[in-house]
Amino acid sequence: MSTENAFQISVPDDSLSLLRQKLALVSLPDELEDAGWEYGVPLADIRRLVDRWANGYDWRHHEALLNAELPQFTRDIPVDGHGTLNIHYIHKKSDTKTAIPLLFVHGWPGSFFEARKLVPLLTQNSEHHPSFHVVAISLPGYGFSKAPSKKRFDMDQYAEVCNKLMLALGYDEYVTQGGDWGFLITRKIAHLYGPRHSKAWHTNFPGGQPPSLFTQPLDFLSMLINGLTAKEKEGLQRVQHFIATGCGYSAEQGTKPQTLGYSLADSPVGLLAWIYEKLVAWTDQYPWKDDEVLTWVSIYWFSRAGPAAAGRIYFEVGEGEPAKQMARFSAHESTSIPLGISRFPGEIVCFPKSWSKNLGKIVFDREHDGGGHFAAYEKPEALSGDLRDMFGQGGPAFGVVKGRNGYD
Amino acid sequence: MAESSFKISVPDAKIDELRQKLRLTRLPDELEDAGWDYGAPLADIRRLVDKWQNGYDWRVHEAQINSELPQFTRDIDVTGHGTLNIHYVHQKSAVPDAIPLLFVHGWPGNFLEVRKILPLLVESSPDHPSFHVVALGLPGYGFSEAPKTKGFKLDQYAEVGQKLMLALGYNEYVTQGGDLGFQINRRIARNYGGKHNKAWHTNFPIAQHPSLLSSPLAYLRALLTPYTAFEKAGLERTNWFETTGRGYYAEHSTKPQTLGYSLADSPVGLLAWIYEKLVAWTDAYAWDDDEVLTWISSYYFSRAGPAASLRIYYEVAKGDKRFPPPSEAPTIPAGFSYFPKEVIVAPRTWKKLLANVVIESEHERGGHFAAHEVPELLVGDVRKMFGKGGPAFGVVPGRTGYA
Repeated sequence: MSTENAFQISVPDDSLSLLRQKLALVSLPDELEDAGWEYGVPLADIRRLVDRWANGYDWRHHEALLNAELPQFTRDIPVDGHGTLNIHYIHKKSDTKTAIPLLFVHGWPGSFFEARKLVPLLTQNSEHHPSFHVVAISLPGYGFSKAPSKKRFDMDQYAEVCNKLMLALGYDEYVTQGGDWGFLITRKIAHLYGPRHSKAWHTNFPGGQPPSLFTQPLDFLSMLINGLTAKEKEGLQRVQHFIATGCGYSAEQGTKPQTLGYSLADSPVGLLAWIYEKLVAWTDQYPWKDDEVLTWVSIYWFSRAGPAAAGRIYFEVGEGEPAKQMARFSAHESTSIPLGISRFPGEIVCFPKSWSKNLGKIVFDREHDGGGHFAAYEKPEALSGDLRDMFGQGGPAFGVVKGRNGYD
Repeated sequence: MAESSFKISVPDAKIDELRQKLRLTRLPDELEDAGWDYGAPLADIRRLVDKWQNGYDWRVHEAQINSELPQFTRDIDVTGHGTLNIHYVHQKSAVPDAIPLLFVHGWPGNFLEVRKILPLLVESSPDHPSFHVVALGLPGYGFSEAPKTKGFKLDQYAEVGQKLMLALGYNEYVTQGGDLGFQINRRIARNYGGKHNKAWHTNFPIAQHPSLLSSPLAYLRALLTPYTAFEKAGLERTNWFETTGRGYYAEHSTKPQTLGYSLADSPVGLLAWIYEKLVAWTDAYAWDDDEVLTWISSYYFSRAGPAASLRIYYEVAKGDKRFPPPSEAPTIPAGFSYFPKEVIVAPRTWKKLLANVVIESEHERGGHFAAHEVPELLVGDVRKMFGKGGPAFGVVPGRTGYA
């Protein structure tokens, strides 16, 4: 394995200048009267954000903050059939030597940035809760990682990169946390590398399937006889709403990511709208600050592979057919290691609890009152609290990693 | 509601802005051997962007369009939506009793799609009928104003078409259309059929398998009739389209505003979004780069901007049925043309319930943009439908199309 290089984000001046020039030439569309959020992102929001991006937002300031807060590195990781990819990641160790190695895996439109608030909480020492050594990977094609250059870079490959990274860092055994694509990737890690390397996995985006007469006869019958609880119904209505009105992005990314990519690579406002729509729709009334949004989107704009690369994961997973994406999310994949689930009410796909039963060996399952899809970012205390409870003394996954139980 | 004659005259400032944006184009990379699998290939887009910047002259094409297509604008009131200034092409035949025909485009088309069929339709001859042609620029497309209010659906687009024909003195008329033009013309046929709209022709008759419950005989016939080779290929093509080619539709019909920011701001983004369909939906049509760039430029320079053209998908998906039941089929005579590379090709037995089909023609070549790809074939079908001996001859009283 190649050696690691320390990394600081340092966007070239040329790139900043190009962004500035493009923003100065921005052409905005009109909008229907009283459109609200019905047709997509409201014009007033975009206008305000674009103005701020062009006048006032200081990328260098935020770049410096990120570099100061998050120790970053790059290293070459070979991937079978795909050559070598240079991978960017955060790696922050706890002062507790026997902290639990934890890999955080983001999704779309996320990035390593999502781990920003989680890292200090998880690495914190205390006799009252376990601490973690945190690795937050930038998936290939995201952040400052290189993108795959060949077709068919699928879940097996993402899982391979993640596992190899943890091994390269000396973490022969580790645990994972993931949502969005991170759910599917960490499940694949559990499937392929558990229990030898991956010892437990935690997700805030549990997939699952409705119970069937064969897999869960009692739950199936109960569902038919008693119906769903009001809360379960509400959750499924959210799923219905998401599928009916919120999946255009995945249909396009899942079929023609290159076509869409020309827009996202060329137009800052186009990229901003494409991502910001989800930052608002998928969170639970999170009070986004403009600079926060712009930093999130700027990471995509300035990403090493460019914004067009990030969408290709949708195509590969669905093999170019959107219907197959959902199938992969719901399909069963056998895992044997302990699984923890955190459920946030604003999540876009909220299946009834009984649907997750076959996901794996569930040892922890907690529901929250608030928070949405970007749990690590919206509710870092809640999520880190769940991880501490799952892995801490007296917890159901205490001591899963040999010799690293998170305490001094 | 006076008519004004119209000539396209894009302001210099707009052309300069396009040039400046093109100069700043940032292209993505591409996977090795991607071909067309992931969308429009990088080599094509790079070549087109280079041409657009260096060598393509909009003014030349603008002048050509203006000399070929007699254009006008007029205000049309739409109930509940105020007044919209509508752009259209209107050319009368030399034959006074020519048949008034309304041509309605779809997406990503516009009034330019009438360019090649116009001279053929208005042409006088003892051997075929001729037409007075009106090519409507749909609200939100070309140089027509866009609706400002929500809920502008098929009824409203149909109302614009109907009112335009009446305003031009064509109390009775026929229609031709594909893509969204099929759905709009079907609505015209339903809402104004009999009294005003006398017959309709389409090259995009999309249909579902008849339902057992509502149409048991048609269901059985569909089930028991073996597919022809054309129909088998058509079903494969339809499956390809439905499973891998409707991403644009999903975004247009749910978040047109979000996508609109990209298409309004990025010439290369707009180019790729439309060019992908110009190639995928046609039958090996040999696109000329300038031809593509003129098509895209007409979207870039459109009066309402490219974002407005997407909203019809949202409104129609929300408020209109994609496959209305047979009980809602119009009763006036309909003509269907089938082109092999159309994106949805249903077996004939599925289409019988769509309308009062009086003539069908199956072709060996041509795709979605029939008027542009195979104008002589499309016009041939329309002539056969309305000409002497045809099933819709004389459908407009006093206007047979012959001298």
